[in-house]
Amino acid sequence: MISIAGLRKSFGAAIVLNGIDLEIRQGEVVSVLGSSGSGKSTLIRCINGLEKIDAGKITVDNFDVSKPRELSEARKRSGTVFQLFNLYPHMTAVQNVALAPVEVLKVPRKQAEAEARELLRSVGLSERADAYPAQLSGGQRQRVGICRALAMKPSYLLLDEVTSALDPEMTAEVLSILANLAKGGTTMVFVTHEIEFARSISTRIAFLDKGQMIADLPTKEFFSDKGMALPRVAQFLSKMRKD
Amino acid sequence: MRYDQFTPYDLVLLLQGLGVSLALFVSTTLIGLVIGTLWAVIRFYRVPVLAQMVAFLAELLKNSPVLVQLFLVFFGLPAFLKINVTPTEAAVITLSGNSAAFIYVIAVSAIESVGRDQIEAARVFGLTRWQILRRVIAPQAAAFAIGPLTGLLVNQLQVTSLISVIGVMDLTKVGNILNLRTLKPFVVWTVVGALYYLAAKLVAHAGARFEKRLRAHTAWKGL
Repeated sequence: MISIAGLRKSFGAAIVLNGIDLEIRQGEVVSVLGSSGSGKSTLIRCINGLEKIDAGKITVDNFDVSKPRELSEARKRSGTVFQLFNLYPHMTAVQNVALAPVEVLKVPRKQAEAEARELLRSVGLSERADAYPAQLSGGQRQRVGICRALAMKPSYLLLDEVTSALDPEMTAEVLSILANLAKGGTTMVFVTHEIEFARSISTRIAFLDKGQMIADLPTKEFFSDKGMALPRVAQFLSKMRKD
Repeated sequence: MRYDQFTPYDLVLLLQGLGVSLALFVSTTLIGLVIGTLWAVIRFYRVPVLAQMVAFLAELLKNSPVLVQLFLVFFGLPAFLKINVTPTEAAVITLSGNSAAFIYVIAVSAIESVGRDQIEAARVFGLTRWQILRRVIAPQAAAFAIGPLTGLLVNQLQVTSLISVIGVMDLTKVGNILNLRTLKPFVVWTVVGALYYLAAKLVAHAGARFEKRLRAHTAWKGL
């Protein structure tokens, strides 16, 4: 379980997250929605320990991410997929996927690369396994990014606006993979602007506004009268749907 | 009595001199690479006190003439610190320090050129600082640095000629001796110059080949 309690984070004078409480249990797909600047990405960066939190507590399977000793255990349990892919440009797709298993989990290189190829095949990239990131399209890069996270066999997948840098066609190819993962029971925290997609795969929706979580509802309720009763949510949804 | 004709033995002398120049160049380059890179890593990790010391030392070495540094080491160490140094030792110390200072500058910008976003990715997947340095930063920094480094080394090869003034029997010193004996400066210095040129071309060629290998990931192979 990922448990977030009373999380506060500010950058200088700007308060980005102001008292967030959220629990994500095994098997859930929680989408985090909200306007730009509402703190969604920062929330992910706090869970994986890239940002130091100012107050509150985040635990991943009871490992406290603000304690350096426990952070490495917490990180082993969660895999992050980034908005801008963040692949290692000097490594091929296979090498990108196999690096962390070899270095962190001490999997023998041959085995790690065989597993990496298998993962890449499962997302339709067996032909491109030996290509460098610069030779791949955006959608292909993000699929490698997803494989890289899955290679660590994480209990939780943290997805930080993974389709924001992609055009609609490439977005569709990445989302179909995520939909399969969700069906397969992968636990996900999904920060996104893809509302319709979030609706189709999420078990729960969390809505952030100006650093505060103003809704945390089962998906059905969020998109029903109950969610619409919240003015900020109604406003957000109507605006997003017009686009 | 002075023998003013060229003899076949002069060629052996010249090649010996070239050997000395190249040996000094290679050894001081290797020492400079190790020290300069170490300094850059110290600076990258912002090691307190050490990082400032390194920056200060590199500034001193970069902004003063190599010849002055050479004199300070060769004459200054015995005079002030009572440490006797041979010409070769003085040459190795000075040229290594000078190379280290310039390699430090190249290595710092090479390390800074590696995108922060990939380093963050490596961190969240649990790689240690050392693993990130070795597997993610070093290969890319090397690919970035190899071009400027080759340029620097071609220059450092020529700079080794300065050590002839303290009596190291390098290529320039041999040229000097032959010149005084034969009084045919145009022939002697043309041959010496050509030998330096060939050696420099060799360095540049090796650098270019190495660069091609290191930059394989940016080569366009088509889709």
